[in-house]
Amino acid sequence: MPAPRRILFHWSFLVVAALIPLIELLLPGHPQVGDLLRPIFIMAILGLGLNILTGFTGQLNLGVAAFMAVGAYSYAILTCDIYPFRLGFWSATTLTVLVGLTVGLFLGLPTIRLRGDYLAIVTLGFGEIVEDVLKNLDSITKGTQGINPLPAPSWFGYHFRAETYQPWYYLFLGFLAVLVLLNRNLQRSRVGRAWISIREDELASSCMGVNPMKMKLLAFALGAAQCSLAGALWASYLGSSGEPGNYDFQVSIIALCIVIVGGMGNVGGVLLGALVIMGFNSIILETVTNFLKAHQIISSSNVFTSPGSWKYMLYGLALILMMRFRPEGLLPSRQFKAEAHPNEPHSPPTA
Amino acid sequence: MSILSISDLTVRFGGLTAVNAVSLDIPSKEIVSVIGPNGAGKTTLFNAITGIYDPTNGRICFNGEEARRPFRWTTSLMLALVGLVAGLSLVLIVNVEPLWDTAITSNYVYEQTFLWSKAVSAATNYFTESPGQRFAIPFLIGGLIGLSGAFAIWQRTRRAPEVAARAGIARTFQNIRLFNQMTALDNVLLGMDSQLRTRVWHAALRLPLFWRERDESARRAMDILHFVDLEREAHQLAENLSYGHQRRLEIARALAMQPQLLLLDEPAAGMNPAETQELMKLIHSIRDRGITVLLIEHHMQVVMGISDRIAVLDHGEKIAEGTPEAVRSNPKVIEAYLGKS
Repeated sequence: MPAPRRILFHWSFLVVAALIPLIELLLPGHPQVGDLLRPIFIMAILGLGLNILTGFTGQLNLGVAAFMAVGAYSYAILTCDIYPFRLGFWSATTLTVLVGLTVGLFLGLPTIRLRGDYLAIVTLGFGEIVEDVLKNLDSITKGTQGINPLPAPSWFGYHFRAETYQPWYYLFLGFLAVLVLLNRNLQRSRVGRAWISIREDELASSCMGVNPMKMKLLAFALGAAQCSLAGALWASYLGSSGEPGNYDFQVSIIALCIVIVGGMGNVGGVLLGALVIMGFNSIILETVTNFLKAHQIISSSNVFTSPGSWKYMLYGLALILMMRFRPEGLLPSRQFKAEAHPNEPHSPPTA
Repeated sequence: MSILSISDLTVRFGGLTAVNAVSLDIPSKEIVSVIGPNGAGKTTLFNAITGIYDPTNGRICFNGEEARRPFRWTTSLMLALVGLVAGLSLVLIVNVEPLWDTAITSNYVYEQTFLWSKAVSAATNYFTESPGQRFAIPFLIGGLIGLSGAFAIWQRTRRAPEVAARAGIARTFQNIRLFNQMTALDNVLLGMDSQLRTRVWHAALRLPLFWRERDESARRAMDILHFVDLEREAHQLAENLSYGHQRRLEIARALAMQPQLLLLDEPAAGMNPAETQELMKLIHSIRDRGITVLLIEHHMQVVMGISDRIAVLDHGEKIAEGTPEAVRSNPKVIEAYLGKS
């Protein structure tokens, strides 16, 4: 069991997150911070999926947006009433996760013997292929217009509505909390150890009896399943599958930024990364832009003066600076490592 | 009785013959050293034994059989399954749009109940209209690609390092290859991996088996660390250990695999005399645990001190084999090391 102090830390995090919508009601003017946090939760789930592949197993994947697109479109097809399936939220989500798992296996099988840059290029290509297929498979995916409207989820007879964001907030927070727990459990087990050993030295790992192909396939399947869950939640949040262009290379890069900035191979780091990157994107940039516009410092006709137009450059700059000064990320996993086995015979570190 | 018998082993890289027709028998529960000048093919021999290189020629028998993935009925089942799935996927990919139109779109009226039986019969009709073009050809092509691809991968990974490792051959590396970002304890626990029965679901949901095995394996790992005298360093990252400790940790990691045969590739390289003495003691006690040790070493003091038998390689060929005394006075060995007078 993790040390009580750290359990407390994690729970307090969760409690704070759970209290945000309630605190807002008490504050004057009802600021809707929680509303802005919803996409952050979804991107954190996407980051967790990528973290299994890139953070734990060390397989650079540049096409996670494709897994997300698969999730969003499967969820849309399964729930939208222009198709005969018309499933509810929970069954559709479960099926979507299974579809993601299968797609991960399908991509994993033929690429399993590729390493490093080669795998990155194949996954990059996979991302482009999925986007193109979704655009051109008109009769099923409705081409560039996307599948909409999707029915809102419901839980025990309660129907979610677009106007009240709180139920959504708790739904996404719940999913995120469960996934964080599962990922942490995996990381601190035989499975996580094998994944990390493959990242560190694949040959040595296989000489110790680990089957790298099996473990990489597992990472692919589980990572893709989580990414497609993020896609399903995203689709339910938008009320639409979104158009294929929404799942392009930029989304994959943002997911990669989340993992790298937060700290490769550390679940807590991914959460922090999602908060920093997405918070910057959807909270700080928007606020700054609105503020500047309201005070007529910038005009909306000139795109070059809008901070929002500069965001990818700022991401790039952030990545370069991170790689130069703090390549292990904001919350690297190594500090956690030493604490990972507190229950076992332990002696104070030697001086 | 010999635990490992190498017969007529040749490993060739393009035009270079690294190991040439070497035959060697390693008797059980002995310490056997392989020596030779640089580039003699010692490490290549190790890599062939542990399944990293495929031998060009010859056989390596461990406990009387080659350490290869056996062809079992599950293998053929797996191959058939991959072929089937690939075939059906190609059928689906080729027909996806018309199939969707005939089975789903044309049978579904907005918000009316959808009759699945009608959809299924429409789909069946679609395929029976032109079974060859719509089903048989894509199915055969896809199945063939899947089957041959899966078979090729299986064939090429028959002699993989993990197969040798699971058969009971453990090794260390000439240039230390620890998992640097993992603690010493985790490194040892990874060596135990093939003996653990925890699966993904046990780990993810923390089922009882996970807890039981976690405590038990941690205890055993600490025992092994105690054996190599690294107990105090258990929670340090491997990369922060001193060089001598890293060498010992690599041995501990290999011992965690509960091997029958332990291959040590220059374990004394870069060690000071005191550390070397300790290492010799350690290797002796490993042998006393009933583990056969095969050793590559340049330190003649170590080799002559602990070996039961010595084999000498030069330019990929075995030039001498025998007890330390016999090898020491063998004129061919002296010539290989010092040159002709």
